Amino acid sequence: MLNRIIFLVCSLILFTACHQQTNSNGEKIPVIGASMLSLQSEFVVNLKDAMGAHAKEKNVELIVNDAQRTAEKQVQQVETFISQKVDAIILNPCEVEASSPAIAKAKAAGIPIINVNSETSATPDGFVGSKDEQAGEIAMEQIAKLLGEKGNVVMIDGYMGQAAQIKRAIGAKNILTKYPDIRILAEQTAEWDRAKAMSLMENWIQSYGNKINAVFAHNDEMGMGALQALEQAKLKDKVIVVSIDAIADALQAVKDGRLDATVFQDAKGQGTGAIDMALQLIKKQPLENNAIFIPFQLVTKENVEGYMKK
Amino acid sequence: MTSFAFMNKNYLLRVQHLSKSFPGVKALDDIHLDIEAGKVHAVMGENGAGKSTLMKILIGMMAPDSGSIFFKGENTSFRSVHDAIKAGFSMIHQELLPFPDLTVAENIYMGRYPVIFPGWVNRRKLNADAQQLINRLGLSVKANRKMKTLRIAEMQMVEIAKAISNNAALMIMDEPTSAISQKEVDTLFAIIKNLTASGVAVIYISHKMDEVLQIADTVTVLRDGKCIVTRAASELNKDSLISMIVGRPIDIIFDKKHFERGEILLSVRDLSGNGFREVSFDVYAGEILGVAGLMGAGRTEIMRALFGLDEIRSGTIYFKGNPVKIKSPDVAMALGIGFISEDRKETGLVLTSTVKKNITLGALNLCSHNYIIDKKKEAIIADEQILRFKIKTTGRNQVINFLSGGNQQKVVLAKVLLRDPQVIIFDEPTRGIDIGAKAEIYRMMTELAAIGKAIIMISSELPEVLGMSDRILVVRNGKITGEMKGEEATQEKIMHFAMV
Amino acid sequence: MIAGKLKQGSNIISRYGIFIAFIVLCILLSVATPHFLTGQNLLIILRQVSVNGILAIGVTFVIIAGGIDLSLGSVVALTGVVAAGYAHPNTYPLIVPLLIGLFTGVGVGLINGLVITLGKVAPFIVTLGMMTMARGLALVWSDGRPVSNLSPAFNFIGGGDWLYIPVPILLFVLVVVVSYILLNNTTIGRYIYAVGGNEQAAKASGIRVNAVKLFAYIICGGLAALAGIVLASRITTGQPNAGIAYELDAIAAVVIGGTSLMGGRGTVTGTVVGVLIIGIINNGLDLLNVSSYYQQIIKGVIIIGAVLLDRRNAR
Repeated sequence: MLNRIIFLVCSLILFTACHQQTNSNGEKIPVIGASMLSLQSEFVVNLKDAMGAHAKEKNVELIVNDAQRTAEKQVQQVETFISQKVDAIILNPCEVEASSPAIAKAKAAGIPIINVNSETSATPDGFVGSKDEQAGEIAMEQIAKLLGEKGNVVMIDGYMGQAAQIKRAIGAKNILTKYPDIRILAEQTAEWDRAKAMSLMENWIQSYGNKINAVFAHNDEMGMGALQALEQAKLKDKVIVVSIDAIADALQAVKDGRLDATVFQDAKGQGTGAIDMALQLIKKQPLENNAIFIPFQLVTKENVEGYMKK
Repeated sequence: MTSFAFMNKNYLLRVQHLSKSFPGVKALDDIHLDIEAGKVHAVMGENGAGKSTLMKILIGMMAPDSGSIFFKGENTSFRSVHDAIKAGFSMIHQELLPFPDLTVAENIYMGRYPVIFPGWVNRRKLNADAQQLINRLGLSVKANRKMKTLRIAEMQMVEIAKAISNNAALMIMDEPTSAISQKEVDTLFAIIKNLTASGVAVIYISHKMDEVLQIADTVTVLRDGKCIVTRAASELNKDSLISMIVGRPIDIIFDKKHFERGEILLSVRDLSGNGFREVSFDVYAGEILGVAGLMGAGRTEIMRALFGLDEIRSGTIYFKGNPVKIKSPDVAMALGIGFISEDRKETGLVLTSTVKKNITLGALNLCSHNYIIDKKKEAIIADEQILRFKIKTTGRNQVINFLSGGNQQKVVLAKVLLRDPQVIIFDEPTRGIDIGAKAEIYRMMTELAAIGKAIIMISSELPEVLGMSDRILVVRNGKITGEMKGEEATQEKIMHFAMV
Repeated sequence: MIAGKLKQGSNIISRYGIFIAFIVLCILLSVATPHFLTGQNLLIILRQVSVNGILAIGVTFVIIAGGIDLSLGSVVALTGVVAAGYAHPNTYPLIVPLLIGLFTGVGVGLINGLVITLGKVAPFIVTLGMMTMARGLALVWSDGRPVSNLSPAFNFIGGGDWLYIPVPILLFVLVVVVSYILLNNTTIGRYIYAVGGNEQAAKASGIRVNAVKLFAYIICGGLAALAGIVLASRITTGQPNAGIAYELDAIAAVVIGGTSLMGGRGTVTGTVVGVLIIGIINNGLDLLNVSSYYQQIIKGVIIIGAVLLDRRNAR
């Protein structure tokens, strides 16, 4: 037992010692700590990969922690970054309110902190991300267009109470105020989960049958689940399905003409943007703009090829 | 008019027309019981006669189907044990249920701790009060000791202390002497005399005739859920009690016959393990080997190791002359060793299961083919065993939990003997079971010896050891301290080896 | 006489309490919505419950043997991504992902069982640890991304029909039948009950307790793998974050079905009814378009209520 503890302590010391690396010129390599919402989400993984690739390019050391959707854990991770004396922190917030103390703590320690992808109620030193309302707006606008501004929509929500779910729903409903002839027939959560969305769609087909004209799902996973349920019920050619995130599966489905549209959130743009902004702050260069919004982009069969390489 | 009858005499408790049925069994049938304040009223009967059910109803653990209970002249029916205790009932249980990790004082005043202000226990007063009470009972135990460090007799005294502190008017004592020494019994009886002198009524449940005749004022005998008789103890003697309890006179309980002993079936040489060391002995076909000693001397531990339930540290076991390694019970059973444990609830039976499934559990190979159970064959085997061992049950599919202790013990026998073992270990085979069942088990042991089985019988009851054994081993502190022939043995000889 | 009849009546309720609850629920839903009691909807319910059903049957073995398995959901994810990894079109024949997936699940069950029996660690702890380990392995294997682009043959398992009946339903029924026979008609089944009912007594009856427990965990792991494969096939991807909290639904179904968490008691038929109850609640509340927030409350109430009814009468 004691051997194991000693081994653990030694490896920890070695590990932290490695952190103070220097480059060939003898300059200290800047270290950026990143606390990510959840590395079980494909989009966040893509975001992390984009940040990692760009950090390598810029010769920056990037430490990535997974907050596992827990704000409390996220705050602890930022505290650890502070005590490790990293040069900058990138925060991919779990929650609007509960992740805010992390911002205050970093600022108090004089370490620049940037929010990536989504917002907190506390203001960080910089922000790179997208507005989730916009994704809902783009998706619902596309549905309205395909429906000819008339028809019944069912909406599959993300995990209730999470920022992305709330904002995507708000965006979609904003658009619907413009189209009085489009009605939301039913709204239910499938918790971002493909299997759950598939079951939900099957059940809706039973109760609404031919009345459903379009499906809006808050993410592609759920959109794909709804799509499969519709295809099994042989209803897909009558129902429009639009979702958000542009994951690989969804892009393929758009290309094959199964999914009507998805909305691309630019993980690469956000990731590289965040690293660049962090470097500027480390070098104490002034920012032209401390809030960079990377726009969402509509993906349809016409332009899908361009996104499949990204 | 009948409603006034009980007022004539000073009855503390009157039970009238009480009945209770369980699925398939009439546990109590029109029971009457009158308890006087300041008297000891013994209730006797075979296991399954209905004593436990009657007491559970009195203390509020069960509701009767019909009948009434008058306590201090008022019709009462307790909804819970808590109600009963509040009204002045108290039960010293057969299987004691103290809180092992709390202190003696905390157990005595459970739920009624003195407080300095609400939520803050006045520990000093708690311990002082408890100590005073304990001393009054003549018990030399510190009030702040943990309950689990006490001996069983001491725990019983603590339970009595608890009842006294509750101002109990009626105490039910269920087999209070089953696990304590003679000296402790004397102390207990002195306390009971004191209690009755102060007006407390005691309902005393026991199998032990001598004790009942010594302590009780009145005796009620139950049989098959019915009241057979209620009579003053002074009018009774042992023989008349036995015949009333079993419904027939028992001439000879110990049906002992001697048989020509055969080859050595099992030898043990220098066996050591947890709780015993360097034990050596032989067992012959056709003999009953009694193993005597005090509780905790290591007798059960030796046999558990022999059967593969506990680890053997060193030493050798020979079965029919061949050295064998017994690592687990399945090895022992394959050799032909059977073990009837003293604790049927712990190691004997699967209580959630049925009579049938328990009987066949150790011998499913008799009624299965390629791992598939032949359910018809299994039912036939189970029914045969139920008949052979006279197990009282509503059927082979009855859940074992609902059987009386004696019948459960018979199921264990039926299970172990189904495999037809050569060497059979009986660990306290008659503990807590009634005379009728005891006699049946003794007869069965004799029959088994007659057909050449080797029997090892652990027993704490000296009359049983003396009456049944061909040879007797005495164990003390994990070692064999004496060996003698059955006909040469006396109680004094055995106790000499067991204690000195 | 009347009392006797009443007693008989309450006996019937106590024996079939959960079945009655199930039927009452069905009647209520049939009255509430015309879409419930249609052949097609019933088929859909069966298909939706098949994954949870296979998991619940697996954990029934473990719970009867006196254990618990909290790693089910993670094993579903792990076996799903592992099997999907070998199921891309034009790579391996279908049998390869199936066997590799099943072996993965069996392996997890084996490890659970070995640590529990030889290491003498409480099943709750071991399978809790395995829950996070298997989840981590699934993320490592898949690099945190869904494994998609699967062969049509593989997707047939979760999405196809055979003789007009969806394949997941057929697999579920097969699992139920085999498990029923295993638990009721074989010696190992009898030993599982005995070990859960009283481990000491089982040991003293010559049963090799550790082997029996190991068997139960292996069956459970294997069935979790089957569920994982069916799920991956049904949603046409292996998802590293699939099956989160699935173990809770499975255990809930087992408990609703009258299996004691103390071990030694329980039936396959009870578990099937428990699975169906959870399934029709999900389906019915969706049909009625009850708000997500209220759905959670109603589900909880029905689960506790069903078990309460069972316990009140099972005296």
